[in-house]
Amino acid sequence: MTMRLHGILGKSDDAAFARRLHHLEHHDGIELLFVPPADVGRKRFRLTTDRGTDCAVSLDRDEELTDGALLFLASDRAIIARFGEQESWRLTPVDQAAALRLGWNAGNLHWRVRFDGDSLVVLLDGPLDTYRARIRPLLESGEVVERDAVR
Amino acid sequence: MNRLSLNGTMAKSRIAAARVGIGGPVGSGKTALVERLIPALLERGVDIAVITNDLVTAEDAERIRRSGLIDPARVSAVEAGACPHTVIREDPTLNIEAADELERRFPGVELILLESGGDNLASTFSRDLTDFWMFVIDVAGGDDIPRKRGPGVIRADLLVINKVDLAPHVGVNIERMRQEALAVRGNRPVLLTNCRRGEGIDAIVDLLEREVLFRT
Ligand SMILES: Nc1nc2c(ncn2[C@@H]2O[C@H](COP(=O)(O)OP(=O)(O)OP(=O)(O)O)[C@@H](O)[C@H]2O)c(=O)[nH]1
Ligand SMILES: [Mg+2]
Repeated sequence: MTMRLHGILGKSDDAAFARRLHHLEHHDGIELLFVPPADVGRKRFRLTTDRGTDCAVSLDRDEELTDGALLFLASDRAIIARFGEQESWRLTPVDQAAALRLGWNAGNLHWRVRFDGDSLVVLLDGPLDTYRARIRPLLESGEVVERDAVR
Repeated sequence: MNRLSLNGTMAKSRIAAARVGIGGPVGSGKTALVERLIPALLERGVDIAVITNDLVTAEDAERIRRSGLIDPARVSAVEAGACPHTVIREDPTLNIEAADELERRFPGVELILLESGGDNLASTFSRDLTDFWMFVIDVAGGDDIPRKRGPGVIRADLLVINKVDLAPHVGVNIERMRQEALAVRGNRPVLLTNCRRGEGIDAIVDLLEREVLFRT
């Protein structure tokens, strides 16, 4: 299904939205719409969110799309524009015990992840170092190996 | 949630018309394409208007007004004065004003086609002016045009290769030209047309309906 969106509701880091967005984060309700650099100046574009929702977006002529612009907000879901492409971080646990611990951490940290064979691909929403810091003991002990920080 | 709805049933109240640019080298068939797009869009019920850019005349606007394809009042001319790319890229204010003015006079207009004056391979449209732009080249210009990687060819949202009917006469391998165009464009859309006979126009309108008008 296509979401027809018009206009920017605000910035996703506005205090006014903080509570609702935080709640949605905990209920898997945040979708990111990655906007490639070439499309940033557009007033009309059609792109798919990280969850696969087809979005047909238009803006008013005097509106400027910004990184973090909130495009949709409802009780069960929000759609936020993100500039650039999705960065990801691939982690491979050395054994089952390490995998359990990594999975437990990632879940409790509400990281957005994809499973890829024997590795966990973390979809980054912020600087890699802040992610590293959360599981530093696992990395330092060698239980979890960083494969690559690629897009 | 007042501003939106699912599946395009939004109140059509005040959403600006989509602005679609058509650029390309001199004589590649930009006006011919406009003359083909007008009836094709009207047939699909799209409310349209047209802006043409020429150096110091309104030649193309007059041609379209006289064509009988569209209400002549819906065709505006902007005289670029100097370099055609200035008014679509560096300072598009004249064209933006012309588009705003068409929207004021025809409040229901959904799509404004904007033909740039003929230029070279480097011309591109400002995103402030158009939401989507196509670059029209023709096979008679040579099948090496895509390989030359001009910004128009590379960056346009759609590359149109026109005058495919001439391919046999100028010794151009059209399929190879298309493949090379796709390669330099990272597989972004490339469509073939024969504007003299109206071939390939529907595929362009399909793309506009999906990417710009959000009808499908
Ligand atoms: N054979 C053939 N001729 C075409 C085709 N499309 C356009 N032409 C001819 O090419 C010439 C130039 O076409 P125009 O539509 O005026 O080209 P343009 O790009 O608008 O030209 P400028 O605005 O002057 O840059 C005309 O004589 C057209 O009849 C086509 O698909 N095949
Ligand atoms: Mg012309």
